[in-house]
Amino acid sequence: MRVLAVHQFIGLINDFLRETVPSSDIAIEGEISDYRVSQNKWVSFDLKDEEQECVLKCFSTIWQLRTPLEDGMRVRVMGYPKIYERYGMFKLNVQSAVPVGEGALAKAYALMKKKLQEEGLFDVDRKRSIPRFPKTIGLITSRDAAAFGDFTRILNRRWGGVDVLHTHVHVQGREAVSDILGAFNHFNSLAESERPDVLVLTRGGGGLEDLHAFNDESVARAVYASHIPVICAVGHERDESLCDFVADLRASTPSHAAELIVPDRDQVLGEIRAMQDRWEEQLRYQTSQYTFRLERFMGTISSVVRMHASRVNQLMESLVYRFNSLFDKTKERIDFALRLLSSIDPTKQLSRGYSIVRSGGVLVKDVKEISQKGKIQIQFGRGSADATVDQTNP
Amino acid sequence: MATKKTTKTTKQDFAKAFSELEQITEWFEGDDIDLEEGLKQFEKGMKLAKMCKERLAQVENAIEEIKETFTDNNEA
Repeated sequence: MRVLAVHQFIGLINDFLRETVPSSDIAIEGEISDYRVSQNKWVSFDLKDEEQECVLKCFSTIWQLRTPLEDGMRVRVMGYPKIYERYGMFKLNVQSAVPVGEGALAKAYALMKKKLQEEGLFDVDRKRSIPRFPKTIGLITSRDAAAFGDFTRILNRRWGGVDVLHTHVHVQGREAVSDILGAFNHFNSLAESERPDVLVLTRGGGGLEDLHAFNDESVARAVYASHIPVICAVGHERDESLCDFVADLRASTPSHAAELIVPDRDQVLGEIRAMQDRWEEQLRYQTSQYTFRLERFMGTISSVVRMHASRVNQLMESLVYRFNSLFDKTKERIDFALRLLSSIDPTKQLSRGYSIVRSGGVLVKDVKEISQKGKIQIQFGRGSADATVDQTNP
Repeated sequence: MATKKTTKTTKQDFAKAFSELEQITEWFEGDDIDLEEGLKQFEKGMKLAKMCKERLAQVENAIEEIKETFTDNNEA
């Protein structure tokens, strides 16, 4: 027989329970009652069967339980059984609790929505804008889902030349959450130059159970923490998910997401044409303004020129007139002088029968200037003669 | 699935070119524009618009599936 201390015995039982109960393969389903959170850390509740009176005390922490719980909620919990030494109480140490059934899921969804909203994850002022012409798109969805085909079909119809980096993830089932988290981690850990301009998280519609990954707290937080803007498009028009509220932009369907991400090429083409028309119009208007100004300027110039030209003409005319009158006067005076000159020209007298007598080249005005037998030269109107003086008669 | 990768530069140019088109339009909306500068802007705009239109004629998008870190299990 061995003698053990109390804590040693409880330790022995706990070791036995841990080794023999296949906790990781067991989920215990029941209804929550007496749900409490103490010191904002420790969570305790009772899990009960509805038909039979039976209670399983449960213990956990708020970090362990990602889903907000409430009394009356039907959940499946997983965890390991343990006797807590201090209180001598048998409890299930809960590792996870998942709501079951539409009612419980709806309640859990509402609680999580409230929680995230209060934390500010849905705040409008943190929403980032999506570039108008994205170059690279990170697409997070299942390659087998209709959403993939819908998204790419609309994308190709509207716009071209985009790189779509597709990460294939499960959009429902057990692996969905870790796949989606992996995809967000992948894109966000790329070098900034390699990162897509926008991430699209999408899937088709479904019930709350199908959409669980898109309502998962860790996925919602990954959307919130993403350095790359996120568009979330889940389901059909009416479906909503927590990721929708956290995302920077919410699209109602996968096709709608494609419409929001890329512009329509015809519309952009129209915009470019409209801009070109506008430049041309402005240029034409400006040219016409210049032409108008130029014409006005030319008009002013020509009237000035005309004015100056007539002044010049006037001047010319008066100049010519004055010149003419001066010329006439001068001519008269010259004529007069000429007439005067010609009237006193001695040669003119010769033609009328007068002669000029020179002696030794000197004009003879007195007979005393010559002597008998002296030589003289006589000039007539035409020709001349040398003569000898026979006699002088003083 | 197509796994073509188009060059990044041509695509970068579209957003840049388009915003330049918008700047030119804004310029033309200004007061009392200079005719000579206007002709320069017009010529530059026409070149950019041509480039953008050529880019718009591109119809294909390259879809590349990322293999790393993602399992190929069947849908659960």
